[in-house]
Amino acid sequence: MKMPKRWSRLRRVLGTLKRLFGVACASAVVAAATSSTSLFEVKLPQGIDFVLRNSPSPQKYLIETMPGGVALLDYNGDGLLDIFVVNGGQIESPMKAPENFSRHDPRYWNRLYRQNRDGSFTDVTEQAGLADAGDGNYGMGVAVGDYDNDGFPDLYVTSYGKNVLYHNNGDGTFTDVTAKAGVAGDGWSVSAGFFDYDNDGKLDLFVTRYMEWDTQHSKDCGGNFHTYCPPGEFPRTTNILYHNRGDGTFEDVSVRSGIAAKKGHGLGVAFADYDGDGLTDIYVANDGMQQYLFHNNGNGTFTETGMEAGAALNVDGGPLSGMGVVFQDYDNDGRPDVIVTTLPRQTYAVFHNDSKGSFSDRGLQTGLTMLSGVTSGWGVGLEDFDNDGQKDLFVAQGHVLDNVEKIDPSLHYLEPTLLALNRNGRFEPANPGTDELVAARGAAFGDLNNDGAMDAVVTVLGGPPQIFMNRGGISHWLTITLRGTRSNRDGLGARVQVNGQTRFATTAGSYESANDKRLHFGLAAAKAAKIEVYWPSGTHQTLNDVPVDQFLEIREPERP
Amino acid sequence: MILGIVMLWLAWQAPSPEAVQHVETARHAEAEKRFELAVAEYRKVTDLEPNSAPAFVSLGQALIEEHDFGGAIRPLKRALELDPNSASAHQLLGYALLAQGYPTEAIPHLENAHEQAALGIAQAETGQFADAIVNLQAALQKRPNDPDLLYYLGRASGLLSKQSIDTLLTAYPDSVRAHQSMAENYIVLRQMPEAEKEYQHALQLRPDTPNLHLELGHVYAQTSRWPQAEEQFRTETKLQPGNAEAAYRLGDALLQQGKAKEARVELEHSDKLLPQMPETLYALGKAEALEGDSAAAEKTWTTLLSIEKEGSLAAQAHFGLAGLYRKQGKAKEAEAELQESQRLKNSSSSAEEQK
Repeated sequence: MKMPKRWSRLRRVLGTLKRLFGVACASAVVAAATSSTSLFEVKLPQGIDFVLRNSPSPQKYLIETMPGGVALLDYNGDGLLDIFVVNGGQIESPMKAPENFSRHDPRYWNRLYRQNRDGSFTDVTEQAGLADAGDGNYGMGVAVGDYDNDGFPDLYVTSYGKNVLYHNNGDGTFTDVTAKAGVAGDGWSVSAGFFDYDNDGKLDLFVTRYMEWDTQHSKDCGGNFHTYCPPGEFPRTTNILYHNRGDGTFEDVSVRSGIAAKKGHGLGVAFADYDGDGLTDIYVANDGMQQYLFHNNGNGTFTETGMEAGAALNVDGGPLSGMGVVFQDYDNDGRPDVIVTTLPRQTYAVFHNDSKGSFSDRGLQTGLTMLSGVTSGWGVGLEDFDNDGQKDLFVAQGHVLDNVEKIDPSLHYLEPTLLALNRNGRFEPANPGTDELVAARGAAFGDLNNDGAMDAVVTVLGGPPQIFMNRGGISHWLTITLRGTRSNRDGLGARVQVNGQTRFATTAGSYESANDKRLHFGLAAAKAAKIEVYWPSGTHQTLNDVPVDQFLEIREPERP
Repeated sequence: MILGIVMLWLAWQAPSPEAVQHVETARHAEAEKRFELAVAEYRKVTDLEPNSAPAFVSLGQALIEEHDFGGAIRPLKRALELDPNSASAHQLLGYALLAQGYPTEAIPHLENAHEQAALGIAQAETGQFADAIVNLQAALQKRPNDPDLLYYLGRASGLLSKQSIDTLLTAYPDSVRAHQSMAENYIVLRQMPEAEKEYQHALQLRPDTPNLHLELGHVYAQTSRWPQAEEQFRTETKLQPGNAEAAYRLGDALLQQGKAKEARVELEHSDKLLPQMPETLYALGKAEALEGDSAAAEKTWTTLLSIEKEGSLAAQAHFGLAGLYRKQGKAKEAEAELQESQRLKNSSSSAEEQK
């Protein structure tokens, strides 16, 4: 057979190198900033002394490069967002069985920082009952949801090891109710999220799991370079779906629901109703393979439809190293789109929702292909940072391999943050407020100082978090808190439209992290808003001529 | 071969019965891979028949089989004193000398024996890379896919290349080609900033050198700096308006930036300059799809699939068609294309793994 002709002399050489090194290619730094002024001021507020201790070791245990999550929640109901951060743990070199990550040691605790009125924070971990993360758990992520509808957000912390559900007692303390609730899971959990898949008014719980792996069966890759192995070196595993029984306990319905039928390398998870059938669907970012879109069949089961829907592979039909994911509407057409962050040279995927349950990759049209060719993305958010009525993109970045430069000098472990402003559906790079290069992982979004402008908190391996405080501007905004009555109390799963924009109520998404539950809308020059809420219960509620620049609570009508 | 020589000698020279007995014992020992005994027996033969070249050849052969290359040299040299035209003696002595680290001394014997494979290796060891490549290529024609020969051919070619580059860098250190060569080395090492610097230097010296802008564009493309890549590829298309690759690269750089309309123009131009390039057709189909011209994209990808039925580009084209059909609501056709894409992907992955 005649060999097809090819342009790519260079590509062949580089392809050979890639095979030799046996690692996914990674990233160089993109100079993203186009303007000298930034929307953000990046600072560490007084009182936050957290360091994400991932404890990198010569053994290259894969867990070391994967933490950690961050959550923005108002745990004490004082109207101010507080910050919860997940820590990794101590790793011995080599680890001995039984594994002990020294989580009793305060250096390895997860931390809860209560926000004070002056914008400073106070570490309340111990008094809140969140100290001492227990034996054998290496921390990963966090989910936030009011699973018992008592008005106080609860915390679910994922780990390599056992996961922990902390019930918020409403008095500033939490109680570990994992055993009673039956949600400890096992193996290696990464991201999690609360959502109500059967619209029964009680939040259920979805947990992604990465692979079948443990420290006693670990290995390193990259030959003499000794790198973390790609996921394909270890067996795939199942994700977990817990159904909320409403009595403080959950039932593992992974098998019955069809979720366990698909094994993968799950990392990020996000929820939205992509086909408008009133049921919340699930998108799972898988590492090094096709992505999963679990369609909610409405009868307690799910069907994985990523391939048929065109939301599983990149524009060329290749697999993605999916890490973070956001499931929101970036182009204001009313339908939730999916953005998946990946490793370098894959480029981040933008799966545009074309309606009728079909997606197409719009990385090229949106400009995101150009912005993500050599970077590794983790936490990700679609938020209207400049309040112009279009959701912008924020990505926490940093390569997986802490020695990637040795393998490929054109790539870098430490990377800059990506802020890309949405200009009519095209993302354009903007100054994120810092040019510090970091190995960022989790990212959560919310209005920390209640000024009507969205802020971001990013976790950094081996360092303190980065807090991106939005300087705000003159554009108008509206922030909505949903108060479900027949639906779950926080209205998670509701579709909210404000002046032609749409948001899907969720705290999940990003990577290992949980966002402010409030729904923020930038309104540009608008002086009033028309709000439509499509509650999970099926109720449709409309509010006209709503004044802008306010925090508004919308209560679901108790009768349809 | 050696056994045949010994037998011929036994038939024509009428050696002593005692020598014949030792030859027989040595032959049995060789058959049983008891080379130490064979060597001892052949030594007795050479003592009894000191003017027999075949006896010394046999002794040398047995010593080589016992991996005593140094010990084989003396009897083989003696064999050549007795019979300077003995091809077997030349061949074995060439092997022994080469194995002992005397490639220069081995070469005349290997030439005499027309032993191209070992000769090529010896020449490579002595820095005669061009001759080595000729002989190794000839040997590979007879023994294709021989891993040792492939290794030595690769090594000789690489060293010849290095020799030329070293000469270039030493004699003309600030020449365009020296900087270009350095840049190419940096690319292989993935040191892109250094490669960029070298290309820039080369371009300062002679901005109209063909392909320099193209190669610099590659460096930018590798690091996702598409606007810079576009600029370089565009300059190359101006320098070489008939260069189809430059037009393709420019089209691809435009496509990566989402400039579908401009990309399409360049890719169509490339396709005119050099039709039926699968990569051009794939990118052109993408640009057409991006522009919303589904009919054109379908036609282009179908053309590509008529040229290339297997491999990753074919898989990508099927995947692209699946996307087009899905958008048109043709679920069945989309599913068929998707399945074909997956089948091709899986078969190329297994082929890649086997490699």
